[in-house]
Amino acid sequence: MPNSSCPMLAVADLAKRYADVGRPLFSGIDFAVAAGEIVALVGESGIGKSTLLNCIAGLETADCGSVHIGPHALDMVRLDEAARAALRARNIGFVFQAFHVLPTLTVAQNIIVPLLLARVPSGEHATRTQALLERVGLAGFADRWPASLSGGELQRVAIARALVHRPALILADEPTGNLDPRTASDVLSLLLERVREQRAGALIVTHSQHVAQCCDRVLTLTANGLA
Amino acid sequence: MRRRTFLATPLLLPTLTRATPGATAVAYPPVIPGARLTFPRDHGAHPDFRTEWWYVTGVLDLPQRDIGFQLTFFRSRPGTAEALDSPIAARQILFAHAALTLPGDRLRHSERAARANLGAAFSSEDCDISIGAWRMRRLDRRDGEAFSLQVNSPQFSYDLLLTPTQPLLLQGEGGYSRKGSRPELASYYVSWPQLQVAGFLVSDGKRLAAHGRAWFDHEWSTAILGDGAVGWDWIGINLADGGALMAFRLRDARAATVFAHATWRDAAGHVRQFAAADIRFTPLRLWASPRSGGRYPVQMEIRFGEHTVRTLPVLDDQELTTKRPAPVAYWEGVVKVDGSLEGRGYLEMTGYAGRLTL
Amino acid sequence: MNTLAWWLIRAQFRTRRTATLLSMLAIALGVALGYAIHLINDAALADFGRAMKTVQGDPDAVVGARDSAGGVPVATINAIASDPAVLVVAPVIETRVRVNSVRTPVRLIGLDVFSAAAVMPWLLPRQDDRSTTGGILDGDVYASPSLLAKLGLQAGATVTLARGDREWLTKIAGDLPATGPDDLLLVADIAWVQERFGPNEAVGEGRVRLAPEVDLATWRTALQARLPPGLLVRAAEDDRTRVSNLSRAYRVNLNVLALVALLTGAFLVFATQLTAIAQRSTQFALLGVLGLSPRMRLLQVLLEGLAIGIPGAVVGLGLGYALAFAFTQILGGDLGGGYFSGSTPSIVPQPAPLLGFLALGCVASLAGALYPAYLNRVQPLAQALKTGFAQSRAAFSARSRWLLAALLALAAFVLAQMPPLFELPLAGYAAIALVLMIGVSSAPLFTRALFGWLAKRRLPAAQQIAIQNVAQAPLMAQVAASGLIISFALTASMVIMVASFRVAVDHWLDHVLPAPLYLRGKATPLPQELLDALAGTQTPFARIERSAQETLVIDPQRPSVALLVRELERDNPAARLPFTGPVVAPPADMPVVWISEPMHEIYRIAPGQTLRLPLRGHDVEVFVGGVWRDYSRQFGAVAIGRDDFVRLGGRFAPSELALWPLPGQERLASDWLAPWTDRYGLELADSLEIRQLSLSIFDKSFAVTYALEAAAMLIGLFGLAVTLAASVWLRARELATLGALGFDRRMLGRAVMVEGALIALVGLLIGLACGVAIGGILTHVINPQAFHWRMALTIPWPAVIAGALLTLAAAIVASRYAARQATRLPVARVLASAD
Repeated sequence: MPNSSCPMLAVADLAKRYADVGRPLFSGIDFAVAAGEIVALVGESGIGKSTLLNCIAGLETADCGSVHIGPHALDMVRLDEAARAALRARNIGFVFQAFHVLPTLTVAQNIIVPLLLARVPSGEHATRTQALLERVGLAGFADRWPASLSGGELQRVAIARALVHRPALILADEPTGNLDPRTASDVLSLLLERVREQRAGALIVTHSQHVAQCCDRVLTLTANGLA
Repeated sequence: MRRRTFLATPLLLPTLTRATPGATAVAYPPVIPGARLTFPRDHGAHPDFRTEWWYVTGVLDLPQRDIGFQLTFFRSRPGTAEALDSPIAARQILFAHAALTLPGDRLRHSERAARANLGAAFSSEDCDISIGAWRMRRLDRRDGEAFSLQVNSPQFSYDLLLTPTQPLLLQGEGGYSRKGSRPELASYYVSWPQLQVAGFLVSDGKRLAAHGRAWFDHEWSTAILGDGAVGWDWIGINLADGGALMAFRLRDARAATVFAHATWRDAAGHVRQFAAADIRFTPLRLWASPRSGGRYPVQMEIRFGEHTVRTLPVLDDQELTTKRPAPVAYWEGVVKVDGSLEGRGYLEMTGYAGRLTL
Repeated sequence: MNTLAWWLIRAQFRTRRTATLLSMLAIALGVALGYAIHLINDAALADFGRAMKTVQGDPDAVVGARDSAGGVPVATINAIASDPAVLVVAPVIETRVRVNSVRTPVRLIGLDVFSAAAVMPWLLPRQDDRSTTGGILDGDVYASPSLLAKLGLQAGATVTLARGDREWLTKIAGDLPATGPDDLLLVADIAWVQERFGPNEAVGEGRVRLAPEVDLATWRTALQARLPPGLLVRAAEDDRTRVSNLSRAYRVNLNVLALVALLTGAFLVFATQLTAIAQRSTQFALLGVLGLSPRMRLLQVLLEGLAIGIPGAVVGLGLGYALAFAFTQILGGDLGGGYFSGSTPSIVPQPAPLLGFLALGCVASLAGALYPAYLNRVQPLAQALKTGFAQSRAAFSARSRWLLAALLALAAFVLAQMPPLFELPLAGYAAIALVLMIGVSSAPLFTRALFGWLAKRRLPAAQQIAIQNVAQAPLMAQVAASGLIISFALTASMVIMVASFRVAVDHWLDHVLPAPLYLRGKATPLPQELLDALAGTQTPFARIERSAQETLVIDPQRPSVALLVRELERDNPAARLPFTGPVVAPPADMPVVWISEPMHEIYRIAPGQTLRLPLRGHDVEVFVGGVWRDYSRQFGAVAIGRDDFVRLGGRFAPSELALWPLPGQERLASDWLAPWTDRYGLELADSLEIRQLSLSIFDKSFAVTYALEAAAMLIGLFGLAVTLAASVWLRARELATLGALGFDRRMLGRAVMVEGALIALVGLLIGLACGVAIGGILTHVINPQAFHWRMALTIPWPAVIAGALLTLAAAIVASRYAARQATRLPVARVLASAD
C-alpha cells in the first residue's frame, strides 16, 4: 500500500522543446498527485498532453525539471533507460485508448505480465490475477484470447493489468476514447473505483468532459503552461 | 645344449613352412663323432646344419652384484625356400634373445628375428652374427682374442667385451656331444667358460659399469631331441675356484630322466666327463609361475660322481614368456651353486609349463 | 522474466508458424549440408587412413624410392637395420597383379613375416597350427577374406598371378584375418615376389620402427643425408599430411558452399525476425512501456532467433547424418570427387563436431537475429506504440551507397588478384562474399530507382499503389530482394563455373584422345608378346603409340606426381599435348619434359627452367619445355619422351596403347585385339566411350554442388515469400484503407503479386550480375588456386535465363502466398484498431 503522506507523482519545472524546431512545447510544469487522488489532464489537441505523459512515464526525456514517482520519489528525468523501465515496471500502471492487450497472450497472461516485470514472486500471480479479474467483472475470462473480447472487456483487462502490481501511479491516455458512451462510463467508474481502492495516484489525459468531471482535480494544459 | 632353438624354431615355423621334412627333403649333414673342429673357422656359422646357436651368459660382480645377462643367437635352416634362388629367400632364419636379471627386481628380456641377408647376417668364417644392431662377434686384438656383445632394446642395452682366461672347452668327445641313446642324436658343442667381462650396461636409463664372469656356448646340430624327451634341465656354472661345470638332463613326459651328461673342468684344467648313470637331478623347492602356471624346481640338487651341488636362484621369477609366435614359457636365470663345488652361473628349465610340442 | 520470454516465443511460433518453420528449415539445411560434408569427409579420410594403416602399418618412417619404378637396395635396408636407433625395418615390395585373368588387378604385397609383425601386424597371415602343408616362406600366398569372396576362391586354391607377361603359379594357403572388408589384397613372402616380379636386388620400401627414445626429425635428417638422392625418408606424418592434402581443396570448397547455405539460413532468420519485430513492434513497445528493460527487448529477439536456430540445427544434424549416409551409399566417400576410390566408408559421428555444427546453426540464427534485435532495442517506444514499426530513414544517402558499392567492388577486384593463402583460395572466397555484399547493398538503390520510375508511369490504380508502397518503404523490399540476390547469384555462378569447366574438359578431351582406340593394361605393363605382335607387319593398324606411366615423389608431403612416358617428338610435342603457352625448344644435350598445369602451379616451375627429376636412384636435371593443360591429374604430371626416358636409364614398359586402325578395318582391329584382351585382362575402349565416361565422372563429381544450389534457391524463395507476407501485414492498414475505399480483394491480391514479381525481378537482375561476377571468380580464381585448373569463362545463357525465368515464376507463386494474406486481412478490424 503506497505511503499516503507523500505524493505519488511530483512534477517540478518540467519543460520540453520540439526536437526539430527548438520551440518549447511546454515549460514550467509543476504539479503533484497524492495517493488516492485522481487528476485529469485536459487540453487542446497537439498542445503536448501526450508528450507530457510520455515525459512523466520516461518514454521521452524532458529537457529540464524533475518527475518524482512513487514512495521512494525516484526522479524519472535523472534515470537511465534501464532504470526508467524498472521504475515503470514497479510503480506505474498504464491504460491506453487502444487497449494494447497483447493478442498472443491469454487474458490471465496479459495481467501477469506486470507481475513478471515487477518481479513479484510467482506464487502470488494466480491469486492476484484471479482477484483482480473478479474486481473488474471478468471472472471466468482468464483463459480467453483477447481476439474474442469486446472493446469494453479489453479495457477492463487493461485496467486489471494496470493495477495488478499495485503501482503508485496510474497513467491513463484517453482510457474511454474507443468505447461507446455506456461502456465508457462503466469502464471509467471501474477504473476510478479500483484506483481509489488501491490508494494509487492517477493522471488521466482526456478530451472528455465527463471523464474530467469524475476526477478529483482537473489540470488544463495550455500554451502558457498548466492552469 | 641351447634349448631355445627347439622352442622358437618349431613353434614359429609350422605356419611358415612345410612341417613334414620329407616334402622338401633337405639334405642336412649328420653330426658324426671324430670330426675335427678348427678355430676360428668353427666359431663361425655352419649353415648346412638344421640348427645352431651361440649363447653367452654371465654374472656380474660388485658393484653390480649378481646381475645376470644372457644373449643368444639362433640360426635355423627350416627347409623353407630351398628351391628359391634369391639372396633374401628365407632359407636361413636368425633369432636373437637377450635378457637381464636384476636380483630383487625382475627379469627383463627382448628378442629379435630376421632372415639372413634381410636384417640379419652371419659369417661362416668366424663368430659374427647380427640382427640389426644386435651383434655378437669374435675379435682378434693385439692383446689376444675377445668376444664383443652389443644389444640395445627399449628395456635395456649392453655393450660388453669378453676376454678368455682359459682355453676352449670341447664338450663330449672333442666337441661331439651326445644327446640321446642313439648316436645320431648329438651336436657339435664348444664351450668357453670363465670369460672375463668388461663394459657397461644400461637399465632404466642408468649406465652401469660391468665386471664379472661369463660363459660362451656354441652348438650346432641337425637332430637332438629324441627318446620321448619333452624338456630338459641344464646348468653352466663358472666355479669360484676357476673351474667350470656343465650338466644337463633330458626329461620325458613322466619327468623321468631319459639322458644326462655332465662335464667338470677343475681349476687345474683337468676335464672329467660324467655319463647318464653317474648323474642325478633332484628337485628341492618348486616355484610356481603366476603367469604360465608352470612349477619349476628352482632349487635343485645335482649329483655327479662323488659331487653334490645345489642351485639357489638370485631371483625366483626368472621365467620368460613369449606370446608370439606361440605362447612359450621357460625358466632361464642366474643361480648360485654351493655344495662340494661353489660358483655362479645359469640354470635353464624347459617343458614345465605345458608340453613342448615339436 | 523467463516466463515472459517463453510466452512470447511460444506465441511467436504459434502465430507465425510458416515463417518460423521455414527459417528452421533453412538453418537445418545449412547445418545438414555442412555436417554431411564433414561426416562424409571424416569417414572417407578415416577409412582411407585405416586402409592405409592396414597395408602400410604404423611405421615411424618409411624409406622408399622417389620414383614408382625404383626401389631400395637390399644393402641399404640392411644398413638401416643395423642402426642402433632402429628397432626393425620391414621391407616390402608392392605390386599389382591379375589373379586368374580377372581383369581388375589386385595389390600383391611381398613382406617379410619376421619384421612385418612389428610394423604391419594387420597383414600377417592367419596362424593355423594344424596346417601341415604349405607356408608363406615356401611361396604360398594369402588373400584378404574380401578378395577371396570376390574371386569366389577358397584357401587351398591354385592361382595364377600375372603382371605383364610374367606369371606365377602358386597356391592360396589362407587368409589375412586382420584386413578390412574393403581391402582387396594378396600377401606373399618378399623373396618370392621379388623373384617373380622384381625389382632385382632391391625392395619397394623399408618401413622403420625406431627405438622409443630416438628423435624422429634428427634421425631422419641424418639418414636422408646418407641416402643416395633417389631415396627418400618419409615420416608417418608426411603420409597423413599427404592424405589430407589429397582432398583438402575439394573439402574446403564444399564446406564453403555449405557455409553459404548456412548464410542463407541466417539470412532467412534475419528476414523472419525482422518482419517479426516489425509486426510486433506495438507489442514490444507496450512491453517496453510496461517496464520491459531495453536489454530484454534486445535479448528477446535473440532468444527467438535461438529458438529457431536450436531446433533447426538439431534437425539439420539428423538430416546431415541421413544425407551423409545416403551420399556415401550412392557416390562413395569422396562425394564423386574421385579422390578415394572404391570404398563405402561407415559414418561415425563424433561429439565434438556434432556440438560444433550445433553451435554453428545457433550462431547463424543469432547472427540473423542480431540486426532485428538491435532495431527492436532502439525503437522509440511512444511512437511505436501509436503507429507501429518505424522504418528508420536510410542511414546512407544514395550517393554514399554508390560510393560504398564502388569501394566494395574495388576491394573484391583486389582480393580476386591475390595469391592463395595456405594454398587455399581464401582471398577468392572473400571476394565472392564482397560481391554478394555489393549486390545486397545496391538492392535499395535499384529498388528505389525502378519503383520510383514506375510510380511515375500511368498504371492501373492497384499496381500504382503497390509500387508507391515499395518505393516509399524499401526496407522490406530490400530484405525480400536480398534473399533472391544471394541465392540466385550463387546458383548462377555455379552453373556458369560448371558449364565453363565442362566445356573446357570437352575441348581438352578432344585433344588428349586423338586415337580412335585405346588399349590399357590397368597399371600393369602390357605383355611383350602383344607388343611384338603389334610391331609385326600383319596388323590392321596404321599407327600405334605406346605410353607408360610411373609416379614420382617430388615432395613427400604432397601426393605424388605422375610421370608419363610417351612417344613424343622432341621438336613437336604440341602434336600430342594441349599446351597452354609457348613451347620452348630444349638445349640439344638436355633431356626435355613438359609439365602439366597443376605441376606448374604447385611447384612453381616455368618453361625454360630446369627441373630435377628423381629417376632410377638419381636426381636427373631435365629441361622444362612447356606447360600443358591437364584436368585429370590434379597433383601434377610430367610428360617425357620415350627416347629421353630410356637415355636417362628408364625401362620403357608400355602400359597403354593409342591405336589408329587402318581405314575401313575398325571391326577387324577389334577382332584382332580380342584374344589379347581376353587372355591378359586388358581394357579396350574407343575414344568415344572414354570421353563419355570422363564426362559422366565429371557430372557425378558436381552432384553435391547441384544439391547445394537447389538448397540455396529454395531458401531464397522462402525468404521472398516470408518477407512479402510480412510486408503485407505491415501495411495492413494501408491495404485495409484501400479495401475500404473500394478495392476488391482480387485487386489487392494482384497488387501484392505485382509487387512480388517486381521485387523478384530486381533481385534476379542483381543476382544475375553478381552471379556472372562470382562465376568469373570461381572460374579464374578459385579453380586455379584450389585445383590448379584453368579454363575460359563460358556463360550458358539459355540455362541461366531459363533458371531466372523459373525463379521468377516461383517468386510469383510465392507472392501469391503473400497476396492471400492480403485478401484475408480483416479490413474492418484493422481499421477499427487504427488511431
